Order: sequence, then C-alpha cells, then structure tokens
Amino acid sequence: MSERRNNKRPRHDNRRDEKPEKSAADSAAQDVGLLASKNPYMPMFLNFRAELDEHHDRRERVIKASRDVTAASKKMIFSLQRCRQLSAPLPPSVLSEVTNLHTIIQTQLLTISHDLSSGNTFRYRQITGGLQELIEALCFRHYLETGSLLTYTAAQKMIPEGIELTISDYVPGVFDFVGEVMRFAITMVALGGGEVEKVLKDLRGIRQGLEEFEEPGYKWYVGARDADKKIAVMRECVEKVEKAVAGKIIRGAEMPEGWVPDLTEVVEGGEGSIRGGTGGV
Amino acid sequence: MAEQVYSAIDQDIFATVTEQIEQDLVIRESIKEVLKNLDKQLKQISATLSRVHSVPPSEVPNLITKTQPIFEAAKSDLHELVEKTKPYPYYKYNGMWQREMQNLIFLILFETWLSRSYLPTTVPVNALATIEEVGARLSIPINLKTEDAFHLTIEEYLHAIISLVEELTRLMTNAVTQRDFKRPMLISTFVKDIHSAFQVLNLKNDGLRRRGDGLKYHVKRAEDIGYDLIVRNLVDMGVEEKAEEKAEEKAEEKAEEKAEEKAEDKMQE
Repeated sequence: MSERRNNKRPRHDNRRDEKPEKSAADSAAQDVGLLASKNPYMPMFLNFRAELDEHHDRRERVIKASRDVTAASKKMIFSLQRCRQLSAPLPPSVLSEVTNLHTIIQTQLLTISHDLSSGNTFRYRQITGGLQELIEALCFRHYLETGSLLTYTAAQKMIPEGIELTISDYVPGVFDFVGEVMRFAITMVALGGGEVEKVLKDLRGIRQGLEEFEEPGYKWYVGARDADKKIAVMRECVEKVEKAVAGKIIRGAEMPEGWVPDLTEVVEGGEGSIRGGTGGV
Repeated sequence: MAEQVYSAIDQDIFATVTEQIEQDLVIRESIKEVLKNLDKQLKQISATLSRVHSVPPSEVPNLITKTQPIFEAAKSDLHELVEKTKPYPYYKYNGMWQREMQNLIFLILFETWLSRSYLPTTVPVNALATIEEVGARLSIPINLKTEDAFHLTIEEYLHAIISLVEELTRLMTNAVTQRDFKRPMLISTFVKDIHSAFQVLNLKNDGLRRRGDGLKYHVKRAEDIGYDLIVRNLVDMGVEEKAEEKAEEKAEEKAEEKAEEKAEDKMQE
C-alpha cells in the first residue's frame, strides 16, 4: 500500500501528467516491493489480481460487443421497416443494407466467441442484450420474407458457433419482435394495404403463444426484472393493430377510396422516427 | 377477401421452448434439493464454531473436533452437487450455489484459522488457508480457466476471506472478555495483512468491491482494541508470538512510545 502511494507522488510533481496506467516496469518494480513486504498473503493476492484483471477485461469486451450488436440490430430493424410487402423477398436496397449489417454483427460476435467459449457464455451473460436485439431483427426479417415465426432451433443456427443462444435470449427477442410487427401493420393500414388482416391473425397467434410465459415459473425467461412490462407491452401492441383494423373497416366503409384513418400518433412510431428503446409502445 | 386468412404461426414453436424451460426447471429444483441439505450442515458447523466466542480458549480444540464429521457430511453433499451439475456448463447454474459455497469456504477458513492459532502443537505464520488448501480439502479444482467443470472461484474465496475478517474482529472483542489477550493481537496482525493484500486488487464496482471497502473499518476496530490492550499493559510485550513480531513491529513501537509517554505522565503527576 505504502509503496503504491510513494510511487504516485513523484508522478504528480511532474507537471505533465503521464498516462494514468503504470508502465510495465513501474508496476513490476512495485510488485517486487509488495512481495518483499512481510505480508505473507501478498504473493497469493498478486496472483488473484492478474486473474481478476483478465476476467474484467473479458467482461468489458463482451459488454462492448453486446452494445455494438445491439446498435447494428436496431439499424437492421429500421431498414426492414421500409418493406411494404409480406411473404416476399426483401427489396434489393433493404436486402443489401441488412446483409451488410448482418455481416458486421457476425464479425462482432466472432471477436468475442473466444471469450465466451467453454461454458463462459453463461459467465458473461452481458451478451444477452445484443443477442435479444439480434433475435428481434432476425425474427422480423424471417417474418417479412416467409410470413412465419423464426423457431428457436433455426435462430440458434444463425448465431456463430461457440456462442450459445439461450431461451432467455430468444424469448425476450420474440416479445420485442411483436412491437415491430405492430409498426409494420399500422403502416400497412395507413397506406391502405390489404394484407393487414393476415398480420393481425399472426399477431394473435404469437400473442397466444407468448401468453404461456406468464406462468410464474416461466417469467424469469422473459426477463429477470421486466417480464411483466414486456408481457403488457406485447398485449398492447396486438390490441393497437386490432383497433386500427377495426377502425379501417368501420370508417373506411363510408370514406372515399384512398382514405387513410387518423393514426398519426402510432404511425409516427411506425415510421420509426421517434422510436426509442426496445419494444417501445 | 376470397383467399382464406390463416395464421402462419405454428404453436409448436412455443411448445418446444416451454418444454426446454420445463427441463431447466427440473434441474434447478434438484439442485435446490442438494443445496438445502448442504445448508443444513453449514448451519450446524456455524453454530458449533460460533461457540468460540463464549468458551475459554482451552475448549476451542474440542469444538474443532466436533465439527469434523459435519465437515465430512458437507463435503459429500457438495460432491453430490458436483455430480448433479456435471452434464451442464458450470456457469449456467453456479449463481444458485454461490452463497452456500462462500459460506462453506468461510467455515473452512474459520476452522483452519482457529486450529492453527489455538492448538498448542503448531505455530505456523500463515493462519489463512490458501485457496489451494481449501480446494484440496474439498477435493474440487480451483479457478479453472480452460476446462468447463465444477470449481472454486477466486471471487468465492475472496468473499469468504472478508467473512473471516468480520468474524475474527468480533472474536477479538469476545476474547478480551475471556481474558484472552494473546488472540486479539494475532487477529489484529491478520486483519491488517488481509486489508493491505486486498489493496493490490483492482476491483470493479461489484459486491466484492463493496465488501472489500468495509475492511478498513475492521482494521480500525482491530487497532483500537490492540492499542487499548497495549496501553494498559495487558499484553506482555516480551512473550510475543513470532508472527506478531514480524509484522507488528512498527505499530507496536508507536503504541509502546505512547504507553511510555502515558506512564511518564502518570509518574510526573
């Protein structure tokens, strides 16, 4: 302890502050000092320090990658929201953007696959944020292309080897995916699109499936802290589409061709212009 | 809408997921079972060892002997847990038993500390069982990095050391009540060594950091008691343990000076 303090003092006298990190030689000299101290536990603790530093570095890398994956996945979702057609190949412009982003994500995940290897996926669960957002994007893309829900097994195969996609990554991703489908459907209604009733049916199907997770024992897999909120938001999303479709049928009947229901609020959300957070309302 | 509008959402997708959750829940339940047994043993050991606070020093070896069969039982419970969790990644479920594991390690550290500093036969300098010693005692590996198997983590061990410091600081006060003045001096040295050893770690903002920050208060308490004893000449400075002499020289010199000053003051009066 005292060695450390003594080490620092002359450095502060130097007017030009050097890097806060100690140089290797510096810290080696300090370690020798600590080892020479009469404290019998010092060698063991110096060893622990090295191990813990390594652990924290790995953790930091995973957190960073998770953030990057989240950001790229969000961009992917924005691009996908520009699609207007269901069960059809993506428009070329969207496809190339999405493909690029997916490559970026794969690279990000590969850089940390070593940190997450041999069971460490569960040690550094900080990756879950990124994976959840990625699942949201992948589900949405899959839905736009095929009109069906991406299965857990299929999703697992889309994650680079060495990184495990757990149920508690997949399920929250699917929950948030409902929000994207809602935006897509509302836009469709606003533009007078025809397939919205099929989307509504699908949303109801997804809702029915996701409601299973309300069971007390299952909730933990939806979110350790925000399961209730996620479930509530998912329901709201489905109901919004139900209302939009009903509104279109009721008022649309007396309106001239090309009339668009007043849904400015939600539509703005649907365009993604004021969208914040994941699975927002 | 001539074409039928059907939902393409296959409910089996959800069934597959919930099925996996069910399997996971079964595993968790069975882990909890073992942990319940382990916890029972730990409580028993803890109850026995904590009598050290109220019995005379000569009784301590007896207490230690009494805990041995319970430690064995705890060890076999632990190995049942090891077997149960073998098929799964270690870190998948390790959060479930961290508390029990830390407690078990703490009790081993406490027992070792007591036996090394109360038994007349051995006088080693290091009263702290090293992480290797704890691992060997439990027959489980420590700090595995490349292999994915049950092991003792550094964090668990460090948490247990902090618990030991907390327990020993309490023992310091209670030893004084037993007119045992040698123990507080041993503990004082120990607590100071552990505190300065913790200083070399770069802890992040987590539970370990919070608890580690609390160590300084224990050092303060240890110093206060040590000072009080020395000032009142309750510790015989001549017949000190080698261990103390080694690390305490400086602190004691200071205290001695103060004691002398006080004595002189008294004489002058």
